[in-house]
Amino acid sequence: MDFTYTEEQKMIKKEARRFLEKACPNVEWYLDMDKDEKGFTPELWKGMAELDWMGIMIPEKYGGIGGSFLDLVVLLEEMGYAAVPGPFFSTVVLGGLTVLEAGTDAQKDDLLPKIAEGKCLLTMALTEPGTTCYDPSFIETTAKADGDNYIINGVKLFVPDANVSDVIIAAARTSGVAGDKDGITLFLVDGGTPGIKTTILKTTAGDKLCEVIFDAVKVPKDKILGSLNGAGAVIERVLQYAAVGKCAEMLGGSHKVMKITVAYAKERVQFGKPIGVYQAVQHHCANQKMAIEGSIYITYKAAWLLTNGFPAARIVSSAKSWVSEAYKKVAAIGHQIFGGTGYIVEHPMPIYSRRAKAAEYAYGNANYHRQLIASELGL
Amino acid sequence: MAWDFGISKEEEAYRQKVADFLDKELTEEISRQSWEDLGLDVEGRAFAKKLYDAGLMGWSWPVEYGGKGLPPTYDFILIDELGKRWGAHVPNDVAYTMVGHTVLRRGSEAMKKEFIPQIIRGEIEFSLGYTEPEAGSDLANMRMTAVEDGDYYVINGQKTFNTESHYAEYHWLAVKTDTKVSAYKGISLFIVDQRSPGITIRPLTTMSGERTNEVFYDEVKVPQNRLVGEKNKGFYYMMEALGSERNYVFVPSRYLPYLNMIVDYAKNTTFKGVPLAENPMVRDKIAQIAVEIDISTLLADHARWMEWNHLPMTCEPEITKVFVSEMEQRMVDSVMQILDQFCQLKEGSKWAPLKGRIEWEFLHSFMTTIGAGTSEVGRTVIAQRGLGLPRG
Repeated sequence: MDFTYTEEQKMIKKEARRFLEKACPNVEWYLDMDKDEKGFTPELWKGMAELDWMGIMIPEKYGGIGGSFLDLVVLLEEMGYAAVPGPFFSTVVLGGLTVLEAGTDAQKDDLLPKIAEGKCLLTMALTEPGTTCYDPSFIETTAKADGDNYIINGVKLFVPDANVSDVIIAAARTSGVAGDKDGITLFLVDGGTPGIKTTILKTTAGDKLCEVIFDAVKVPKDKILGSLNGAGAVIERVLQYAAVGKCAEMLGGSHKVMKITVAYAKERVQFGKPIGVYQAVQHHCANQKMAIEGSIYITYKAAWLLTNGFPAARIVSSAKSWVSEAYKKVAAIGHQIFGGTGYIVEHPMPIYSRRAKAAEYAYGNANYHRQLIASELGL
Repeated sequence: MAWDFGISKEEEAYRQKVADFLDKELTEEISRQSWEDLGLDVEGRAFAKKLYDAGLMGWSWPVEYGGKGLPPTYDFILIDELGKRWGAHVPNDVAYTMVGHTVLRRGSEAMKKEFIPQIIRGEIEFSLGYTEPEAGSDLANMRMTAVEDGDYYVINGQKTFNTESHYAEYHWLAVKTDTKVSAYKGISLFIVDQRSPGITIRPLTTMSGERTNEVFYDEVKVPQNRLVGEKNKGFYYMMEALGSERNYVFVPSRYLPYLNMIVDYAKNTTFKGVPLAENPMVRDKIAQIAVEIDISTLLADHARWMEWNHLPMTCEPEITKVFVSEMEQRMVDSVMQILDQFCQLKEGSKWAPLKGRIEWEFLHSFMTTIGAGTSEVGRTVIAQRGLGLPRG
């Protein structure tokens, strides 16, 4: 048993902290990114590519650095700490890992080097309007064979960064009915294909979650990613990576919130004393600390299981349900301790509490994952 | 150095050996003596001997006192495997998981030679003599005194909530040896034979039926050589041991039997023809119990890992303590809500579900956030020692 980062991971953390502090300079910048139609700057993306971040898990033969999922989790933790905006998560986790898991040699040869270089942005279009309760197998979007092509029709929601994606991995039903795990197929769809219409949804976090309408979108057969009708298992696996990756981001964010909250409690004077002297405030901070300690170990345990190919479903769901609620709690306490000052839009607190809300619902909220755990327990 | 949540082959082999032994030898009655603090009765004593004879005790203790000199991981495996089986403890729990470690750290060579082998063999048990009527959370406010008199100390005063005193051979006693200095600098620790003349032990029965005790000392003579370490360093020794003690005492595996029981119940119980296992509310509550046991286990594993790697623990064992004790209360409440009216039926009662154990655990769970330091003191420790917030 060991609860430590490798030397390389410590380097990744340090480098990421240093780079992101400069790249994401102040709250005004974040607010600009909320409003910006892309949601990030070319300089930020270029800087991340120069640090080889997009290639962190891509094997060296494809131009990546061949790291592990744990390495990626370390990086995502720092990205959460910095609350960095942009399409890194969708490109690297939803895109890159799916191609790695399910791609043919030709697809890997084509896409992975471009992803590693930061020259190809990807996302995955999964959720649909019918999924009023999150369920990744509830897919009604259809793909019908038509000669050498498939024709995709349907509406996808909450697709992160579809507005800037070069490739959208679309999950469509090629047989069966909504709710079946079988009968789903993934397609690598060029973002510029006629018939695709992307609209940015206005959201709490100002992240770029999109509606993507597929209106008779024609996709060549060789753009099937993985096997026909067999995407269920791939999606399940990628969503495990995504859930744990999101936990890592939330973990980083909650660390940042606790750091600024405790610092404020030490310096803010009321009734003649720093408020951090008062037990009511101390116990709030202790609750942040407890929530975060649990988040660290459950996130890294889940990442360790996935990295080693051990059965992970139960702990992945434990992690997503725990960390989702922990981050929300940590952020709420932060607001309580900052008082009115943290309620102002230019304060860092809203950046984090708004992202905590977005992350809570990404890849299944706590309720969803508890239902999965119940099944894992044999219920 | 890298994240790793597994255990070594050697540790797994030991775990399997312990598990095989316990599956064969540990009866519900013996577990009950642990979990209800009934004490080490004849069966418990016999079980302690069997555990030792099976070669399962003392792996983490120094070779020169009868151990195997291996890391603490082995003792943690032992207590976890016991805990999985209805919250059983090492029979002489206080001696083995608390007192023994301070004797090793601070006791004289003669004291170690006298006591440690007996502790490993499971032959002796201690009762913690800390709390007094005026010294609860504020332990340093204790009034009991020990005064030097020739080859002896003479001890007078009263302790309370000394749970093992009615069956333990020895009292691990904290008393004032200097009343003129600040409380922290005037306390010493003693090992006292509980059968010494002048000691009166009176039972206190808790709401869950466990026995604890008040212990009165009237001119009790204790030999000089039973002073632990240096005079007036007792409070420091107690604080030094606290983190480690929490690592051994708050054992998340003890909640697994409840999880397994409620899972079985939900699978095998129907309402209006539908198994409770299909009811989303029931599933959610049970899953949350599982999540919190996962978190507790990891918090405990992390704090223990710090201990066996000699890393400075500030608040980690305290976090385990506060979390685990509060988790127990949430777990009890969730299970009771699932059992509905049947939750109040006591063990042995007609219609009692889960053998009535959750009803007992409900009564017991009021203690967990109080005993060994309240959650409030715990959070203050986490804030001040863990986060560096200022003292008032």
